[in-house]
Amino acid sequence: MKVRRKCKLLVEPPSSATGDIAFNLIVFFLVCASIQPDSGRPQEIPRSEEDQEQKEEVENIEIALTGNLNAVSLNGDTVRTSELGSRLTNLLKSKTRPQDKIVIVKSKTDTPYHHWIDVTTEIEQSGGQITIQREEQQTIQVQ
Amino acid sequence: MKISRRPLAATVPSMAMGDIAFNLLIFFVILAKATDDSHLQWDPADTADVTSAGAAKVSIVIDAESKYYLNGQQVGIAQLAPQIEQVLGNATGDDRRVLLKVHRTATANHFEPIIEAVSEAGGTIMHVLEEKRN
Repeated sequence: MKVRRKCKLLVEPPSSATGDIAFNLIVFFLVCASIQPDSGRPQEIPRSEEDQEQKEEVENIEIALTGNLNAVSLNGDTVRTSELGSRLTNLLKSKTRPQDKIVIVKSKTDTPYHHWIDVTTEIEQSGGQITIQREEQQTIQVQ
Repeated sequence: MKISRRPLAATVPSMAMGDIAFNLLIFFVILAKATDDSHLQWDPADTADVTSAGAAKVSIVIDAESKYYLNGQQVGIAQLAPQIEQVLGNATGDDRRVLLKVHRTATANHFEPIIEAVSEAGGTIMHVLEEKRN
């Protein structure tokens, strides 16, 4: 003879806890969405030295940046920013030694950071090694 | 006649233990992940190729008002190089990484001294940027 089980087991969560479950799920997904790891671009810049003795005369490529976002000066010639990559690749193609691949970046004080990042990205993608040359400020007292 | 009060049970229901543990876990995850400079206002510049910046001992921010912050504390440009050197100590390799968070419109007279200071302190620069969306 079969005996019927009288009491049924509770297989679903109590309906009073659904609010708590929903709240916990919201918090969990909010935390997941808000904690995003930083992304960026590494950059190697040679350590600055006060007394530089140049043993060998090397003609490096010079790029001058200004507040004008559409153009830069490449070895004195004005070049459109969009054409910079191809021009640099051509200039660096023939250079094999690492010291010849140094590209000196001179920025005017009003050069915005996003423009500087765009230009230095082009230099690195063309195989150049970035070096920053800053304008030295001198105070001259006139008597 | 005195009527004795029925003692009330003030125990935490064992059903809620899982929820409490879960909430504590989230709380400590947030504490561990939150950086000290999350309150600073700055917009990152964007570029095509970005990689994961990873963790770093030193984080420098130039905010929208061109003020300098080292690990969330406002500093002057003159103290930056020695302070970076102090924080980095004898760290080697990837531990010498310095996160550079520069507001996209900050000008060269503000961000170039920072790059120079990091270079002087022997740190490796990681520009924190956003991926360019076309």
